[in-house]
Amino acid sequence: MTSIDLALAGISLGAIAALSGIGLLVTYRTNGVLNLAQGGIATLVAYIFREMVVEWDLPIWLAAVIALAVVSPGIGLLLERLVFRPLARRRASAAEALVASLGVLVLSLGITAGIWGLGSRSDAPSIFPNSSVRVFGDSRLGVDALAELIMVVVFAAVIGIIAARTAFGRQIRAVVDDRQLAELSGVPADKVAAAGWAAGTTMAGLTGILLAPRFQLTPYGLTLLVLETFAVVVAARLSSMPVAVLTALGIAILQSELKQFTLHGDAGQILTVLQSNLFIVALLVLLLAVPKLRELGSGDSGATASFSSRGAPPSGRVSGVRLRRDYLGKLGGGALLLAPLTFAPSDLRSAFMVPALALIFLSMVIVTGYSGQLSLGAAGFAGLGALLSLKLANGDLFGLPAIPGIASMFVGALFVAPIGLITGYPAIRRRGLTLALTTFAVGAVVSRFVFEQPTFATGLYLDPLSLFGWELSEKAFYVFELLCLGFGLLVVRNLHHGRLGRALLALRDHSEGAAAVGVDVRNLKLLAFTVSSVVAGLGGTLLVHSSYSFSADDFAPLQSLLWFTAVVVFGADSAAGAIVAAAFMVTIDVLAPAGSSTLAIGILALALGWMPGGLASAVRGLLRLLAQYLADSFVDPNQRAPRPVPVRISAVGHLPATTGITGSTGIPGIGSTLGAARAGHYARWPLSGNQLGLPADAPRLTPFGASLVAMVQQYAAAQTAVGRQQRAAGAGGAPRPAGPQPSRAGAGAGAGAATHPAEGGRA
Amino acid sequence: MTTATAELELTGARAGYGTVEVLHGLDLAIPAGKVTALLGANGAGKSTTLRVLSGLIPLRAGTLTWRGEDITRLSTVDRARRGLMLVPDERAVFATLSVRDNLQIIAEASGHPDITPALESFPRLRERLTQRAGSMSGGERRMLALARALLARPSVLMVDELSLGLSPKVAADLFGWLATVAASGTTVLLADQYTEQALAMADLVYVLHRGERSFVGTPAEFAGGTPAGASA
Repeated sequence: MTSIDLALAGISLGAIAALSGIGLLVTYRTNGVLNLAQGGIATLVAYIFREMVVEWDLPIWLAAVIALAVVSPGIGLLLERLVFRPLARRRASAAEALVASLGVLVLSLGITAGIWGLGSRSDAPSIFPNSSVRVFGDSRLGVDALAELIMVVVFAAVIGIIAARTAFGRQIRAVVDDRQLAELSGVPADKVAAAGWAAGTTMAGLTGILLAPRFQLTPYGLTLLVLETFAVVVAARLSSMPVAVLTALGIAILQSELKQFTLHGDAGQILTVLQSNLFIVALLVLLLAVPKLRELGSGDSGATASFSSRGAPPSGRVSGVRLRRDYLGKLGGGALLLAPLTFAPSDLRSAFMVPALALIFLSMVIVTGYSGQLSLGAAGFAGLGALLSLKLANGDLFGLPAIPGIASMFVGALFVAPIGLITGYPAIRRRGLTLALTTFAVGAVVSRFVFEQPTFATGLYLDPLSLFGWELSEKAFYVFELLCLGFGLLVVRNLHHGRLGRALLALRDHSEGAAAVGVDVRNLKLLAFTVSSVVAGLGGTLLVHSSYSFSADDFAPLQSLLWFTAVVVFGADSAAGAIVAAAFMVTIDVLAPAGSSTLAIGILALALGWMPGGLASAVRGLLRLLAQYLADSFVDPNQRAPRPVPVRISAVGHLPATTGITGSTGIPGIGSTLGAARAGHYARWPLSGNQLGLPADAPRLTPFGASLVAMVQQYAAAQTAVGRQQRAAGAGGAPRPAGPQPSRAGAGAGAGAATHPAEGGRA
Repeated sequence: MTTATAELELTGARAGYGTVEVLHGLDLAIPAGKVTALLGANGAGKSTTLRVLSGLIPLRAGTLTWRGEDITRLSTVDRARRGLMLVPDERAVFATLSVRDNLQIIAEASGHPDITPALESFPRLRERLTQRAGSMSGGERRMLALARALLARPSVLMVDELSLGLSPKVAADLFGWLATVAASGTTVLLADQYTEQALAMADLVYVLHRGERSFVGTPAEFAGGTPAGASA
């Protein structure tokens, strides 16, 4: 084939990638959400379309209309209403929206795999006839490619005109800038956002239907294919539609042109991979090359603190009760982890996966939960750890001598460290969205260029593990796994405690602030990535040994997304959560049909909108509420210990701007009435008979300040009189406890009196 | 105080955030065509009251009526269309949009797509039409926020902390502008700590304390509560 023919052959794929890019941009520019679920939705719609045509024998045009005019926009409207509107309402961070879209991805994958299974189908129908038209000379262009090209141009033009020239376009920009203010201005923000979602998911559905007949239809394969088109929107820096379209066509044509070359040896192999994987390589290269994405809003999508609910563990001495409770919890958890030792051999083998997965999840807790970097490449590290240790054990890694099984596992995991370090470098200057995509691209490239290559991933022998000449029994292997997990927990503990832990948390919550107080942000990020990659590598090795085989599918890029979602769902900063997450996924996969864990994680991830901080935090909150409820129902309100009254930092002597900062909560005034008002036993300020007045050293009052103070004194005198009468009336009954209430009221009054002159001072 | 001519009437309002209640059964009546000042310390519930009135926070108990119509369950958008216009204390303009877009959006949404009245009130904005609102100074942003509210031809103009973070000169200018708006018959509700200027404008004063009403009356009554010894 000539270059022109190859170029023409590439147009179709390019046009589809462009459509996908347009869909992503529409969703992003209308809602500020980079829809990672695009691939999952595309796949789901493609499967539904195939079902209607192949199984129900509907005419293709009717099926296409149903799929594209009903199902696809319906999915978008549903997602907006149920998932993303609640997030927008509480002004959730971009990181939370990103995780929610991951949840949608995982859920749609779970649905697709649950209904149609993981197998591949090659009978996906095509909406266009399989014919071609002559363009010039003998070169012919497929009807499908022509139609797709026309669609791209029409959609891009229409959307471009709407965005730039119409009042609706202005409304879109207003809603995405500040949804609340848009509503205050009378802009129907919900409708605008819903329109954006519907348009975006329709483009996703179209992408899926057009892509499916060109490839084998598999849930994971098609999803990944669509995810690779993210290269297009990265090139467009999340804003320019023409750039996205041109990049899509460019990459696809280049990929097609590569087919005219053949090379031999290793270079030839790389070329072969490039010929079908140029998009994912382009994604990585573009992410590293494009200086900055034009993220919407503050661009601070790296604030993962929003789903990492806890701060540092207390440093210094912990009370004995708490210590005992902690130990009890740990003992219970440990006992549960040891339980599989009593299982039947087949069940024990299933349990092998738990510590292995838990280690991989722990690696994500280190990077995401503790240091606040979104990392979607864990499967890559895990797979590399597995591959390197197997190669070491087989003695064919860079001519190194064969190392016996168990030692090779640790050495192999350590060999992942440099790769983790290299991945950490882009993270120094990148955050949030960009970093998430970069790590995903690294994982995908490693998967395509290493795990799926026969040179690397075939001829691996899995020898039975032995220690000092003793072959490990299955029970012994499980114990060994637990020891590895214990080692991982120890690493995590050391990272989370003391000086280093505080530095990591500072980095997570505010990296600029951390840098400003002297935290070495750069090296800390590198450290987190390196340690995390080693832990993941060790987990990967164990995973391979628990399933007795190395399979590229176990470490596919989509696994990273699923695992990441699971970690966030169970509490991104909770080491215990990581173990529970692993146990949860393995248990469900053993008990229920394959793919059920994906479905369950997806559902839980969508519920994150209602329980920020993940399951771990929700459970903690629930326990706290329960305890409070029990306490409230058994303790006489008058006997209760006083709830803490927030400390008001008076602005006397300070700049006016700092007037009355409340000490307990971020929102002014909240906390002062917490609980007390609900219980109806609020000692109304100012109840005490204490003489109200100003401290002797208070600044001279302005006239208005003086009048306020006088008012307060009058009011207090009246209330005190009422209070005395009431007390006199109640004197016949049981004597009231005199302690807490008056003193609390006194504190409130004092604080109130101190703030008022401050305001007077401003006037 | 008479409620016969109340533009907005809030009765028994309870509202808050999460598990925390901020307003504990607040009653407010905003008289039509008058300036009402809502005073109180930080955390007294002023901003929460305004957010309740504009529908950003739902009421947990109580009712809200506007010109006799029960609007308790109405969405923010529908309230904005009835002319309840809130100028929040922060994030009051679309920072990434140009000044012209900022004005046009609200003008179009309220059905009067002409932005010249805003430019006549604030000539300074005319020079900045193509500038991104986020790149303007705090005073100019405040101006733009007020100009936007004006374009919506509000029935009730609610302004949260007009003077927050502004120099006294700029604040005085904006208060002056607000006085002319009020003089034209628009109902104005002013939540502020900058009490002297708010008091000077107000026809009616509410003082909130910890989510409850601790004073209501005219500015004269407010000042009249002052014992002789402490007055100026």
